[in-house]
Amino acid sequence: MAYKPQFYPGATSVAENRRKHMSGKVEKLRDISDDDLTLVLGHRAPGSDYPSTHPPLAEMGEPDDSIRQLVEATPGAKAGDRVRYVQFVDSMYNGPSVPYFRSYNAAINFRGVDPGTLSGRQVVEARERDMEQLAKFQLETEMTCPALSSLRGATVHGHSLRLPEDGVMFDMLDRARKEGNNIVMHKDQVGRPIDKKVNLGKPMSDEEAAKRTTIYRVDNVAFRDDKEVIEWVHRVFDQRTIYGFKPMNV
Amino acid sequence: MANDRKKMFAKHMEIKFTKEHGTNKMEGGKITDMVGKYYRLGVDQNPRKLEMKKAGQEIAKKRGLVGYNPMMHCGGIPLGQRALTPSFISGTDMMVEIDDLHYVNNSAMQQMWDDIRRTVVVGMDLAHETLEKRLGIEVTPETINHYLETLNHALPGGAVVQEHMVETHPALVDDCYVKVFTGDDELADEIDKQFLIDINKTFPEDQAETIKAAIGKTSWQAAHIPTVVSRVTDGAQTSRWMAMQVGMSFISAYSMCAGEAAVADLSYAAKHAGVLSMGEMLPARRARGPNEPGGISFGHFADIIQTSRVTPEDPANVALEVVGAGCMLYDQIWLGSYMSGGVGFTQYATAAYTNNILDDNLYYNVDYINDKYNGAAKTGKDNKVKATLDVVKDIATESTIYGLENYEKYPTTLEDHFGGSQRATSLSAAAGCATAIATGNGNAGLSAWYLSMYLHKEAHGRLGFFGYDLQDQCGATNVFSYQSDEGLAIELRGPNYPNYAMNVGHQGGYSGITSAAHAGRGDAFAVNPLIKVCFADSLLPFDFTAPRKEFGRGALREFEPAGERSLIIPAK
Repeated sequence: MAYKPQFYPGATSVAENRRKHMSGKVEKLRDISDDDLTLVLGHRAPGSDYPSTHPPLAEMGEPDDSIRQLVEATPGAKAGDRVRYVQFVDSMYNGPSVPYFRSYNAAINFRGVDPGTLSGRQVVEARERDMEQLAKFQLETEMTCPALSSLRGATVHGHSLRLPEDGVMFDMLDRARKEGNNIVMHKDQVGRPIDKKVNLGKPMSDEEAAKRTTIYRVDNVAFRDDKEVIEWVHRVFDQRTIYGFKPMNV
Repeated sequence: MANDRKKMFAKHMEIKFTKEHGTNKMEGGKITDMVGKYYRLGVDQNPRKLEMKKAGQEIAKKRGLVGYNPMMHCGGIPLGQRALTPSFISGTDMMVEIDDLHYVNNSAMQQMWDDIRRTVVVGMDLAHETLEKRLGIEVTPETINHYLETLNHALPGGAVVQEHMVETHPALVDDCYVKVFTGDDELADEIDKQFLIDINKTFPEDQAETIKAAIGKTSWQAAHIPTVVSRVTDGAQTSRWMAMQVGMSFISAYSMCAGEAAVADLSYAAKHAGVLSMGEMLPARRARGPNEPGGISFGHFADIIQTSRVTPEDPANVALEVVGAGCMLYDQIWLGSYMSGGVGFTQYATAAYTNNILDDNLYYNVDYINDKYNGAAKTGKDNKVKATLDVVKDIATESTIYGLENYEKYPTTLEDHFGGSQRATSLSAAAGCATAIATGNGNAGLSAWYLSMYLHKEAHGRLGFFGYDLQDQCGATNVFSYQSDEGLAIELRGPNYPNYAMNVGHQGGYSGITSAAHAGRGDAFAVNPLIKVCFADSLLPFDFTAPRKEFGRGALREFEPAGERSLIIPAK
C-alpha cells in the first residue's frame, strides 16, 4: 500500500486545517495579479526583469555530478535570480495561518525555499521567482485573510495585539487599510508608499476566520480539547527525553 | 481545580490598559476586551519619552551634533503608534516606565551586577596555617580582629606598609569592605561584631544549622572591592585586587617581613588556593575572566539571591525573585549587552518580572499541586512527589494550558507579552518552577520547561524567535543525560552550557527552577553555602533579599548606588 502522509494529529477543525496547510490542499479564495504581487513585495518594479546574481546555469558550464543529476534546479536557480524574501504576519485572533504552518506549507510543497519561523512573523527566502510563486499561493488561498494576515518585511509588531474596530490587524506602518469592503495595501512590505493601491480582497468574516484558522484558542477550539494532539506532544516529549537518558528504552 | 480564581495580574492590567497614563488616552474598557483603539499619539503621550526627547534636543544644541531624536524611527513614524503603557514590578505595587527597566536607566540593576562582580570569598584557614605552622606566629581572635581592621583600611586602597604611597579617597570607595563568617559559633563569638556575618541572626534556625554544619570550623572572608574599581577594570580584577590587599594586611597585622617567602604562600592562598569566584572563567572564544556573568552557574546565582532565608515558607516567591534577578543579569546584561550588543533584550526580560503574569501562573500551579499531590508545593522534604515523567507531564501540561488560556481570555496580557519569546519564558518558567517545587528536583523542573515549550508551540503555532527551535526543541534530550557536553545537574549548568549561550529569555528561568527545587525542599542553599552566607549581608548596597523591589526603586530613581564620582567632578 502506498504511503499516505498523515501530516498532523487531532480531531478538531484546527487540526484539520493544519493538515490542509501542510498538504497544500487549500482553497483558493482570490486572485492577485503578478504586477500587484510585485508591487507589494517591493523587490523590483512591475514588469521589469528579474535581477540576477549569476548567468543562467545552462551557460555556466558547471561540472556534471550525481547531485545535479538527482536534483533539478528550480526555475529561479536556473535563471540565476537573486535571493529575495516574503514575510507574513498572522494575527492570533483567528488569523487563518500561523508561523509554523506557513513554514511547513513552504517546506513540504515548494522547492528551494528557506523558511524562518518566529512568533510574530514568518519569512521565506528563495530565488525571486520561486519566492513569488510561494507568496502568490499563500496570498490567494485560505491561508491568508487580508485583514488578519499581512505582508511585513520590517516593523512587524501586531500579531498579538487587540484588533482595531475595523478588524484590520494593527500595523505601526499602516500598510493596509479597509476601504469599503476590501483591504487595500498602499505601502509595500517594508512600508514604502507604492504607485497604486493594491486590492487584496475581502476580509474573512469572524465566523469564516474561526472556521479556517490554525490557531487553538479557548474561545474557538481550545487546545486542551484536542486530546490527540496533546497525547502526540507527550509522546514526542517522552521519546526525546528517554532517548537522551537511556536510548535502549525508546 | 477551578481556573477562574482571581487573577493576580488583573489589577495591574486594569491600571495599565484601562486608565490613562501620561496622555495615552488608554481610558475605559475592560481587560478582557478583544478590540482596542489605536490613537497613534507618538512619543509625546509618555512622560519619560518626553523627558528623553527634550534631553536629546538639549544635547544636540549643546554639542552641535545631533543625537537622540524619536523621529528617526521608521523614517519619521515614532514609537507610540500603539499606546505607551507603564508596567508594574511583579510582587509590588510599583508602577514604572518600561524605559526605566533598561539597566542603563536603572542604578539598582547596575548595582546588583556591581555587587556580584566585585565579590569574592576567600578562605582564612590556609593563611592561618602558614602563619602558625611555618612561622610560629600565634593566631587568636584578637589578631584576627586586628587583621580585619587593617584589611578594611587596605581593601578600599589605604596604605599599610610603605611610605609615601598614593591612596584612594575613602569617600569614593565607601562601599568596599570585608566581613568574615564561620560555622564555628565559638570563634564567631570572639569576632568583633562589625566584622561578622552572623549566620545565627541572618538565617532561620534550621537553615543556620545546615549552613554551619556545611561550613564547619572553617572561616571565610566575604570581600567586596570598590564598585568603581570593578567598573573600570572587570570581574577578573576582583580576586587580584582583593589578594594584593589581603597580602599587605597580613604583612602589617602580623608584623611580617615584606619579602619573606611565606608571603608567597599567603598570596597563593588568596589568589588561587583559597578563593571562590562568583563566576568561572569562560573559554577563550568568550574572552571573559572569572566573575563575569557568563561564568555564574545557575546554582551560584540561586545562592546569591537571598529570598530563601526571608520567605522560606513561600518557595514560589523565592523562585520568582530569582527568575527576575536572573532575567535582568543573564538576559539584559550578559546576553543583551556582553554577547549581543543590543538594546532590546530588556523588552524580553522584563516580561518575567512585571505585571504579575508569571506570578499568577506559578501560584495557580502551587494550588494545583497542593490539591492534587497532597501539599507537595509546601516547603518540606517529606511531602515531595516523586520525580517521574508522568508527574512532569501532568504539572507542565496543566501549567502551560492555564497560562495559554490566560493570554486568550485576557487580550491585555497577550498585548503585554506581545512577543512569543516573552510568553515562552513566562509559560515555561511557571511550569519548570512548579515542577521543581513539587518534586524538589531541579532537573525534573527543567524537563517541565521543555515540555511547556512543545505544548506552547503546538497550541499557538508559534514559539519564540529562531533560536527557540534549537535550544527548546533539543533540550529535552539532555535533561537526564549526564554524559560530558550533553547533560548536567541544573545547579551546575550556566549561561555557557552547550546550547544555552545564545538564547534570551531562558537563563533567568533556569536559575528560578534551580532555586525552586531547593526552596521547595526548604534547603538552606542550592549548591554553595559560602556564597549563600556571603550575600546574607545588609551592608551591601543592593538588597539581595528582594531584587524585584530593588529594580523598582531603581526605576523610580529612589535607589542609592555606590561608586559615584560626584566628589571628583565639577558640581552641576
